[in-house]
Amino acid sequence: MKTTRIKALALLSLVFVLSPAVVHAKGDDFKSVVKLIEQFYGVKHQGIPFLAKAGMKVATTAAKIKGGTAKRLAEAGSVRVAFFEDQTFDGDFTRFRTSLNTALTQTWTPLIQTFSATDDEQVYIFVREANDKYNVLVITIEQREATVVQVTLSAKNFLLLLKDPEGTGKSITQEATIIDQE
Amino acid sequence: MKLLFQKLCLPLIAVVLVMMAALVTQAQDPRIQTASLDHLAAKASQTVDVNIDERLIRLAAKLLSDKGDEKEVKELVTGIKGIYVKSFEFDADGQYTPADIESIRSQLRAPSWSRLLNVSSKKEGSLEVYVLLNGEVIGGLAVIAAEQREFTVVNIVGPVDINKLAKLQGEFGVPELGIEPKQAKPKNDQ
Repeated sequence: MKTTRIKALALLSLVFVLSPAVVHAKGDDFKSVVKLIEQFYGVKHQGIPFLAKAGMKVATTAAKIKGGTAKRLAEAGSVRVAFFEDQTFDGDFTRFRTSLNTALTQTWTPLIQTFSATDDEQVYIFVREANDKYNVLVITIEQREATVVQVTLSAKNFLLLLKDPEGTGKSITQEATIIDQE
Repeated sequence: MKLLFQKLCLPLIAVVLVMMAALVTQAQDPRIQTASLDHLAAKASQTVDVNIDERLIRLAAKLLSDKGDEKEVKELVTGIKGIYVKSFEFDADGQYTPADIESIRSQLRAPSWSRLLNVSSKKEGSLEVYVLLNGEVIGGLAVIAAEQREFTVVNIVGPVDINKLAKLQGEFGVPELGIEPKQAKPKNDQ
């Protein structure tokens, strides 16, 4: 009886220890990715209300890109954002990449993944079809901050992403996280 | 004795045949494996990994218009089954080895693959272009661009119009590789 209990406890501990690496994206993939970042890097995300408290207004469907005229990539109301600010993202990015790909590749297609040691920045863009539109998940991790953005794009804007994955991916994050202080 | 032969040799022959079949299949695969380069990401100052599979290509072909520049790109990507790019930039020389290049080159062997272009200079590095020929049809293309501080592998799966390849540079994550567009032959007015 005692042995069984010890075995069960050992198994539970193993599950607990291994859990950060095996967060599988079932159901809400956006939440799964946020959780994976939290578990892997030992950080905590802040939602939009937190930023609002700090006196900033975040446009969920930003209508501006820095220096440009009014332009909207994401479909209205489709943007989901999670911020990680002023926290440390230390860790082997190759291990994080493996965990992320394992969690998402069943339902998402990895479009582009970039890593910059110079800027200490990782960018991952995953895509999937959503009826006649397209879901795009952009994950950006820097030394002290990270952003997870999920948007829905029209076919026309999705083509922009396919033609220029890096540039359009950045624009999506910029749009979704733009701080409108007007 | 005969029984021993049947017991030992026949399974061995079967294994050898399976392995040979696997090798032939691998040799003809237009998709090249680049996982052997993943370790370079830890040394690189910038790593880019692009995966545009057949589904996304078909989608792009559907969405591209039949007018202007997009028409040419549409014609080029129609029929393509994938565009895969892996690119590394380094802050110092000698961060990748000849073995890294060889891990890609070894997949691009004759008779299936033919080297179409091999430009090499001490100053600017090397550019190799390979095509996979299925009869007379191009079934895939691979580009290895190796510079002092940059290493890029581009793999296009499916039929590619070599003459229009330059048009893909800067599109769909394909970097500028220094491939010049083919000049149209001047018309003879006489």
